[in-house]
Amino acid sequence: MHTRKLALTTRFATGFIACLASLAPAIALAQSTAPEQKAPNEQVITPEVDRRDIKMPRFPSNDFEIGVFAGTYSTQNFGASAVAGLRAGYHITEDIFVEGVLAQTKVSDEDFRQVLPSGIFTTPRQKLSYYNLSVGYNILPGETFIGAKRAKATALYLIAGVGSTRFVEQRRQTFNIGMGNRLFLTDRAALQIDLRDHIFSLDLLGKRKNTQNLELTGGFTYFF
Amino acid sequence: MNVRACCLRLLFVALTSLAVGQAALADETSTSSPPTTEQVQITDPYIELHTGPGRGYPVFFVAAREEWITIEMRHTDWYRVRTAGGKVGWVNRRQLETTITAAGGAKTFRDVVLDDYLNRRVQLGAAIGRFKSEPMLKLWTSYRLSDTISVEGTVGQVQGLYSGTDFWHLNLQIEPWSDKRLSPFFGVGFGKFKNYPNISLVSAVDTNAKLANASVGLRYYLTERFIIRADYSIYTAYIADTRSGEYRAVTAGLSFFF
Repeated sequence: MHTRKLALTTRFATGFIACLASLAPAIALAQSTAPEQKAPNEQVITPEVDRRDIKMPRFPSNDFEIGVFAGTYSTQNFGASAVAGLRAGYHITEDIFVEGVLAQTKVSDEDFRQVLPSGIFTTPRQKLSYYNLSVGYNILPGETFIGAKRAKATALYLIAGVGSTRFVEQRRQTFNIGMGNRLFLTDRAALQIDLRDHIFSLDLLGKRKNTQNLELTGGFTYFF
Repeated sequence: MNVRACCLRLLFVALTSLAVGQAALADETSTSSPPTTEQVQITDPYIELHTGPGRGYPVFFVAAREEWITIEMRHTDWYRVRTAGGKVGWVNRRQLETTITAAGGAKTFRDVVLDDYLNRRVQLGAAIGRFKSEPMLKLWTSYRLSDTISVEGTVGQVQGLYSGTDFWHLNLQIEPWSDKRLSPFFGVGFGKFKNYPNISLVSAVDTNAKLANASVGLRYYLTERFIIRADYSIYTAYIADTRSGEYRAVTAGLSFFF
């Protein structure tokens, strides 16, 4: 009798514990959803802030430039010839920009053919093409006056870089140094004149030596 | 019963919040692109309007505190603004930094200034150096995948006396201490060589070969946008099945963040 009672109590206890265990998460949930007790320093007025829907604007920028140019390229010993090319650039700060240029010209050995009938080149005219990567510095930003009432922004820059020249099937490392002036017609368009010295070595006249090849070009540049 | 009710309520809340969230998301994607101008209120005592985007261009107008201006365009660190009176000029970022937007908050110019350069991802650079005692030139662009890992694409040219080489390669770059101003980096990659002889050389043929390279270098963070870099690479060119050539190259160059 005594043992039976004990067994019943134990069973009851186990049942109760099991029931409690199954209810525990429910109690926890009920607690989490029930209104929490008010803190002593609770805010009396809850501001009803209506958040604005803010979209950060993306301002159009014009740090990149692309342009065409044409002018004259004087190849040392071979005279001057017309040159044309493309340029693309990126303005990193208001002072510093980087620029890549691709251009070509046709060089003639006509002058040599007067005394050497066979000439220097295999054909009288040879293609000279070059590319370079340069860093420029706007040293004199300012304004140019066109007449008395109109002023346009200009920038005089110094530029230097390195690249390669391909001439008579030779590819030579080429350093360039020069200066130029940019005249802004609008915020997005500019006229540009550029004076550049291209320095590379050649051995076409028997001895390898450094040549200075001056170039003067004018061009149109678009900023985007 | 209590449990079931709770569960049901939770499920309902979860579902509705999900639905609302999705609706908000759909709403966000369906609306038009962000505006291209913004109205801000001046907080500096005054701002100077220059005729061009640079400190060398003359100041032609001054707008005072609490005036509203519209920012229209950006060129490097300069912004083209339009005053309420219709004057259009260029203002430096520094004078606009504390301006207040129409929403009442301070305007942020994070698209230009980034205190933490690690947030910038795309880098472009050029370097010159020596490739087996011949002059070389290379141009690279890299994309930062994480603080320490980036991928880098390089094109280059070796401008030798008797022959030249065009090459390209893709590298995986590891920069373990990228938060330091001066930090080393390591890279491995693969690519291609194309060697062409100069005309003065008789009976030479063009060679095309795959290449693998390993490099170690140093990077120095110069200022806001600029980085100086020097590296040493070993190139292996797989010229034929049984023959490969090994070349060493040293370059130094400059790069900048977009």
